Amino acid sequence: MSGILVVVEQRAGRIARISWEAVAAAQHLGTQLSLPVSAVIVGAQTEALTAEIAAKALAEVVRVEHPLLAQYTSDGFSLSLHQLIQSETPTYVVLPHTYQVRDYAPALAARLGQVLISDVVAIADGPVFTRQLLQGRLNGNYRPTGSGPGFVSVQAGAFRAEAAPNAAPAAPQITTRATITTFTPTLDSAQIRTKPSEPYRGSSQTVDLGSAQRIVSVGRGIKGAENIPLVQELATALGAELAASRPICGNGWLPMERQVGSSGQTVSPKLYLAVGISGAIQHLVGMKGSQCIVAINKDPDAPIFEVADYGIVGDLFEVVPALIEAIKAATQ
Amino acid sequence: MILLLPTLAEPQHFSLLEKLLFAGLAVASAYSFWRRFGLVLGKILQSKKDPSFHFFPIGKRVWDFVWEVLFQAKVIRERPLPGLAHAFVFWAFCAFALVTLNHCAVVLGLGFLSPEGQIGRLYFYFAAVFALACAVSILCLFVRRFLIRPKWLGENLSYQSGVIALLIFVLMATYLASFFVADASPSARTLWWIHTLALLTFLPLIPHTKHLHLVLSPATVFLSRGSFSQIPPLSGDEDFGLVAGTDLTRLVSLQAYSCVECGRCTEHCPAANTGKLLNPKEIVLGLRGYLNDLGPASAEPLLGKYNAQEAVFQCTTCGACEFQCPVGIEHLPILVGLRRGAVNTGSWADGQGTKLFLNLERGSNALGLSPAERDKFIEKAGLPLFDGTQEYCLWLGCMGGYDPKGREIVAAFARVMNYLGTSYGVLRKEKCTGDPVRRLGNDLLFQQLAEANLEALAQNKVKKIVSICPHCVRTIQEDWKEYGTPPEIEHHSEFLARYADKLPHQTSPGPSHLEKIVFHDPCYLGRYRNVYDQPRTVVALAGELIEAPRNHERSFCCGAGGGLAFLGEETGERVSHNRAAELVATGAQTIAAACPFCNTMFRDALAATGEAAPELMDIAQLAARGLPQSGAS
Amino acid sequence: MKIVVAIKQVRERDAQVRIDAAGKWIEEGDLQFALNESDAYALEEALQLKEKSAAADGEVIVVSAGPERVGTTIREALAKGADRAIHIDCDDLGQRDALGVAHLLAAAIKPESPDLVLTGLQSEDLGLGQTGVILAELLGLPHATLILHVEKTETGLTVKRELEEGWFQSIDLPTPAVLTIQSGGNKLRYATLMGIKRAKTKEVRRVTAAELGVDTPPVVVLEQVTLPQKQKSTQILDGTAKEAAAALVEKLKFEVRVL
Repeated sequence: MSGILVVVEQRAGRIARISWEAVAAAQHLGTQLSLPVSAVIVGAQTEALTAEIAAKALAEVVRVEHPLLAQYTSDGFSLSLHQLIQSETPTYVVLPHTYQVRDYAPALAARLGQVLISDVVAIADGPVFTRQLLQGRLNGNYRPTGSGPGFVSVQAGAFRAEAAPNAAPAAPQITTRATITTFTPTLDSAQIRTKPSEPYRGSSQTVDLGSAQRIVSVGRGIKGAENIPLVQELATALGAELAASRPICGNGWLPMERQVGSSGQTVSPKLYLAVGISGAIQHLVGMKGSQCIVAINKDPDAPIFEVADYGIVGDLFEVVPALIEAIKAATQ
Repeated sequence: MILLLPTLAEPQHFSLLEKLLFAGLAVASAYSFWRRFGLVLGKILQSKKDPSFHFFPIGKRVWDFVWEVLFQAKVIRERPLPGLAHAFVFWAFCAFALVTLNHCAVVLGLGFLSPEGQIGRLYFYFAAVFALACAVSILCLFVRRFLIRPKWLGENLSYQSGVIALLIFVLMATYLASFFVADASPSARTLWWIHTLALLTFLPLIPHTKHLHLVLSPATVFLSRGSFSQIPPLSGDEDFGLVAGTDLTRLVSLQAYSCVECGRCTEHCPAANTGKLLNPKEIVLGLRGYLNDLGPASAEPLLGKYNAQEAVFQCTTCGACEFQCPVGIEHLPILVGLRRGAVNTGSWADGQGTKLFLNLERGSNALGLSPAERDKFIEKAGLPLFDGTQEYCLWLGCMGGYDPKGREIVAAFARVMNYLGTSYGVLRKEKCTGDPVRRLGNDLLFQQLAEANLEALAQNKVKKIVSICPHCVRTIQEDWKEYGTPPEIEHHSEFLARYADKLPHQTSPGPSHLEKIVFHDPCYLGRYRNVYDQPRTVVALAGELIEAPRNHERSFCCGAGGGLAFLGEETGERVSHNRAAELVATGAQTIAAACPFCNTMFRDALAATGEAAPELMDIAQLAARGLPQSGAS
Repeated sequence: MKIVVAIKQVRERDAQVRIDAAGKWIEEGDLQFALNESDAYALEEALQLKEKSAAADGEVIVVSAGPERVGTTIREALAKGADRAIHIDCDDLGQRDALGVAHLLAAAIKPESPDLVLTGLQSEDLGLGQTGVILAELLGLPHATLILHVEKTETGLTVKRELEEGWFQSIDLPTPAVLTIQSGGNKLRYATLMGIKRAKTKEVRRVTAAELGVDTPPVVVLEQVTLPQKQKSTQILDGTAKEAAAALVEKLKFEVRVL
């Protein structure tokens, strides 16, 4: 067949959002090239999930099933998918750009003499695949020129999962539910060279701001030690670690190990919420690597606003309680 | 008049037994002196030659020798009362050189100064005046050391010093007493013998105690490197700084043996004053201990048993120690040398320090920020780019280019230059001058930064630089010389003071209405550059200048120098807090700084003192404050 | 243990981006180049493995492909402690795709028969994150990616692999193997004067693509580069405290996606 194969990834018996986004990307590509889209799920027991996938507007759902695929290994996945691709001969293979895909897809593509176009953020006519270069400072448009199947992995959030149409009557071009087939690869345990253990959580007994994903950081604007519980409450509501600038720790309002900055820790969380921090250089160098910086400060000229993505100019004693309430409402 | 005064009594005839006894004792004393002194001298001479040492210009050496050794100027200036007492002892020793020689010659019948003769008599009176002053001084010094006990002399009482003081007192007292006895009397003979015994006991004690400085320090002062904090260039492929005994140079060894343990360095050291491990005196004594135990041929590391690496990296390089030292010890080349030894071989593994080095290996500034941030600031502040036509290149430095406070200082200074109609421009690209890595002893990185900057300045045909940062100024002007010829550079305080007449002067009906402004001398402007008056001139334009207790050469560090601004949290009290408290206590409404590092350190420190903290401003901001608003552009 | 570390020289991270006349890549004229960050961690891991090992026959060999300027990065790696280097001399790295580059590296590495091949997780310029994995495929070796820590065992290696959202996994694999190293697992060392001086006498072997017999036409081409539309700027959220808080929660939920 010629068509598009999209690999759906399961994690702990669930299909993550990014896989649905990959399905949406594959459907987008399918529409563009007028090719049918089929999904693949790899594992040892994928039955329950298959039904969920089949509800999408897909031609076929292929279950690649083998006891040796119960746990992910690069060898197991690339061997199985290699066999499937050789039998199905798709035009494109679309994958979600996950840690797992990054681990096996380049080898899989290379085995077929192809190169994975990874971390794609847009697909234009041609098709031309856009990916980010120079850490987001440049976009590059890639075109496959080989004769074999094209491999593409898509970035999280680049395609809308909600856009993946269901096989409902509302979608006129699809009239039937996807057919479900099972593909059993030939696998031998000797072919699987790596032995992974069960995943485990990183230890979190000590304060480790360096690996925290969310940080609420407090500065001089908090005025006194008696107001620390207010920001602690905000941190709890966000599921964030509490950190502080140098004067706060210097005054003993929070322990030294929570200090962010040149004489404390360097952090790079997804969200850095700076409350009452004006943004002295010692502080900025410790948190400039954060993906999203939000600043709450009453001084509109505070240097922190220069590095912030979002800013609220106002009295933190009004803004923070309102924010706690809004977050609680949004996450319940 | 002279005839009315008593004359010095000298025993006239000595028996053979006495002569033999004297000769035996004298030989024993001299032998004992040499046994130790020869060993010390050997260790010094066996040390590596100083590759960059040269005698010229000799004029300065002679002047330093006359001023610091003969006039005892530094000793007196920095501790007036004990200094003067010490000077009297020293001068008495000088005056006694002839007296002592004659004293010993007499026993062999070779006396050349006769108490009867006009010259001899005069000279003995001359010496007597000093003997009296010396005896009184040594008593006072004894009382100070053993009863008052200033803390920087150390916890343990030095009994050696007590014995030495006693001997000196005996020497002076017996000399003076000889004026009041008859020539041929047994008393005269007894006094002569007591004096002789004291003398012969004193001599071997010199090399065995810190009184070795009597012999060595004149040489140490004369041979010193000649300029403040002069870090000698490394020589050859195997020189990485002070790693082991084999790296100790003759100057370092001479200085280690010259230390008189007076503790002036410790008294003024910001680290020692805030509960840190570093004590500059102990660093020098650590080297001495190493030389005594292992010698200059040892491959044993210098850091470890004798000196702690931790202590060496607590130095802010403020230079108070080197500035204070009365015997010519150059602490900074030693401390930086030990750091070089640790960093150039990779044995210093500090997390924050490594981060600083990696930031500068890969990027352009010590803060690890994107150069695009600097571009943004230049655009926002409307700073013109240097194109070769302007008079000045305005050097921003890492703080001026990236630190929000530093940027305010640059913007204020630019306003003043605009007002004065001075033409200036900033470089499109600038790298850190290498100050922090120079002081931390990373020669590889320093060389890379210095060379890259020198090349950029040459390409841009820069002739004159002005900078708001004393660290940049010092490093460009002095430290870069190792790698090329830097353009002329001055600190903005020097620039502003020169134009003080053309800047608005804040006046008020009475002095009580003027804002009280205390000026903090930055180490790298004061001690390093000898610039004290210019920033004060600028401060005086804006208000009433007042002084902190520790000012000018005795200014106390803010804690940022020596690369420490980029290292982790300090142990003990923060240096910046100590200094900020002192500045606040002056009651000034405003603290004036002239260095962006001092500024940023005090900003944090003042935040900790609470709401009523004085305002903190750079002198450029004070100068800009008085400008008419229309002058802003 | 003989360890090969494949390293890449990349442009200075924060330099301004200007697109070249052909619109296919950026102006490189006045750029500065440095060792790719995760490759620096790969090198560090290799050096630490060698230093930890009791065996005296440990060797760390760095391999890098690129033009003349790559020499400075190779020297830096030697200064930090690598024993020798192979410089694959080629000016056309940009015209090769990930498979082409991996072929070059594989051809240079294979004759060395190393026990371990390390490389950084991904480059800071192209960010493909594939070279190490393709290299394993071409060399026929097992591999593991996103590795933070490596330990030698009786039979091979135990490695710590980073998974998403704060999870980790340990993997046993036999040697020889290929690992791609994630940044941050170790503390990097700084270059020292002593290292640079010692590096002067270390061997750097230069080979060309032709000498390696590699000529793989690309199967993926970078046709055009463009500057992203969005520039980072601060959005100030106005209104009362309540309105601003609500607006922020919107942003956190739908744009930042952290709620």
